[in-house]
Amino acid sequence: MKTLKIALLIIFTLILGGGALQAQLKINGAGATFPYVIYSKWFDVYHTKTNIEFNYQSIGSGGGIKQVIEGTVDFGATDGPMTPEQLNEAKTKQGTDVLHIPTVMGAVVVTYNLAEAGKELKLTSEVLAGIFLGEITKWNDAKIAELNTGMKLPDQQIIVAHRSDGSGTSFIFTDYLTKVSKTWETKVGRGTSVNWPAGLGGKGNEGVSGLVKQTPGAIGYVELAYAVKNSLPYASIKNKAGKFVSPALESVTAAAAGASKNFPEDLRVSITDAEGKDSYPISGFTWLLVYKNMKDKQKGEALVNFLRWAMTEGQSYAKDLLYAPLPKDVIKRCESKIVQIKY
Amino acid sequence: MERNKEMSIVNENIPYHFFRRKAINGAMLALCAVSALIAIGILSLIFFYTINRGASYLSLDFFLQMPKPVGETGGGMANAIVGTVILIGIGSAIGLPIGVMAGIYLAEHGNNKFAVLVRFMTDVLSGVPSIVAGVVAYSLVVIPTKHFSAFAGGVALAILMIPTVTRTTEEMVRLVPQSYREAGLALGIPQWKTTVQIVLRTAFRGIVTGILLAVARVAGETAPLLFTALGNRFWSTSLDQPIASLSVFVYDYAKSPFEDWNNQAWAAALVLIILISLLSLSVRIVTRNRFSSR
Repeated sequence: MKTLKIALLIIFTLILGGGALQAQLKINGAGATFPYVIYSKWFDVYHTKTNIEFNYQSIGSGGGIKQVIEGTVDFGATDGPMTPEQLNEAKTKQGTDVLHIPTVMGAVVVTYNLAEAGKELKLTSEVLAGIFLGEITKWNDAKIAELNTGMKLPDQQIIVAHRSDGSGTSFIFTDYLTKVSKTWETKVGRGTSVNWPAGLGGKGNEGVSGLVKQTPGAIGYVELAYAVKNSLPYASIKNKAGKFVSPALESVTAAAAGASKNFPEDLRVSITDAEGKDSYPISGFTWLLVYKNMKDKQKGEALVNFLRWAMTEGQSYAKDLLYAPLPKDVIKRCESKIVQIKY
Repeated sequence: MERNKEMSIVNENIPYHFFRRKAINGAMLALCAVSALIAIGILSLIFFYTINRGASYLSLDFFLQMPKPVGETGGGMANAIVGTVILIGIGSAIGLPIGVMAGIYLAEHGNNKFAVLVRFMTDVLSGVPSIVAGVVAYSLVVIPTKHFSAFAGGVALAILMIPTVTRTTEEMVRLVPQSYREAGLALGIPQWKTTVQIVLRTAFRGIVTGILLAVARVAGETAPLLFTALGNRFWSTSLDQPIASLSVFVYDYAKSPFEDWNNQAWAAALVLIILISLLSLSVRIVTRNRFSSR
């Protein structure tokens, strides 16, 4: 009995003492799930390089913004930029501005479960809005048929799948529909969670992928990586220049380039429905949220160094993980932003 | 004549009643047996299914390695295993003393209005959903300290442990015969010593069972940890930093699109079950030794 007690005591002291001895710098962040794959890769690589621990937890874009406002994390992450009200609230609560630093880009793809369509389905913004508004209900609707000549579309119900949780993916998708459809703008609008006029809800990208995969006749939207990983087909979308573009890293980068002319100073930019003939229209940035005035000098310095690394070497990890790296001029804008961080 | 008739009615009815009672008795017994079988069946189903899915992914690496970046195969959950143990430790350190002492108070001095209130509140608390405990710990610890931390997670778990421990302790202490207390007091032993050395010792096994139930309940909790202990992909044992735990890992990994992660989630679930079984087994052995050696 006594020996057991002593042994347990020793084990505990070793564990706790061990933690105290290696007093590494630990920086905590939380937010978007979409960039989780590349962030955890970055933080792993960066940890082996510098021995600084960036602990990132993917709790969702909405959660990330909330924690930044409450000041419970050292940085946040989101796919939908913070609203001016949220920025104000963060400023009053934390006494410092919050900067948006874009890190990588991604595409939201329209995925479907329709054997007859193979992998070739083509859609326009009007048709897409019509489907998600619940106005186009059959796969053999004349509006879909005229875009996909030569395809034998069945007389089958279209089952719409959307996200049930607050999500940056939903933000990018509804932001696009709001830009291209007046009806959508007045009836639904943009946001991380909206009042969907039609369809079934799934939790997370994995939930929507699962719904689409298991339901014949389903259509939904997920991030490119999820569609590829689950080998789901995805539609080509007609862009602003009138060309049907398939989602791919190149077409996302093209969209960013197309939108870069009118980049706002704070980098909170939407690149959906971008100009340029190769632009994939449902693309978006994902941002890290950092405080402009870091209270902790050490953490501030480490964060700035990390951001610099992410803008340069970090970008080379993007393509393998199915994210689009930032275009050069965007990186320049980011770097001028990073310089403003004080610590 | 009349009496005879009465007798005959009774005599005719006895076999009928007897048959009916026997049938009902048999049917109910069968239902109980079936229910017991279902209960055991579900338990073994969970157990064997988890072993079936998870056992082949258990390796030495799983226990000793750190998690790999998202989407890469391999790696382990060393930090989560230690994290779960630490979280249970903090939860117990806070929750058990409060729970046990509150239980003693209710049993030994609980004949007043205040005790009725405490009893009622404890029952309400035990019905509180675990996510609510998480939110409470979030606003009590995380927001004021501006930090997700292992300590905050432990507070959330402690909140969940207290009602179970309080009520079982009370019940167990109540079961101790009054004559024991009287004997102690009659020998001139002070009240507190009677409580600690006679009453508590007699009720020891029952209290330990209650503690075990509470520990087993919180060991698998995920919801209260999401917004308190948060999670950590690195090795961390400090109490003021976010910490990894098996249950949160299972939650994260099970819903990911990566095959290897889904498998690791099964392995982690299995480890969690084994950990809880080991814990309850070791406590049982410890308590038994304590009794047989005396």
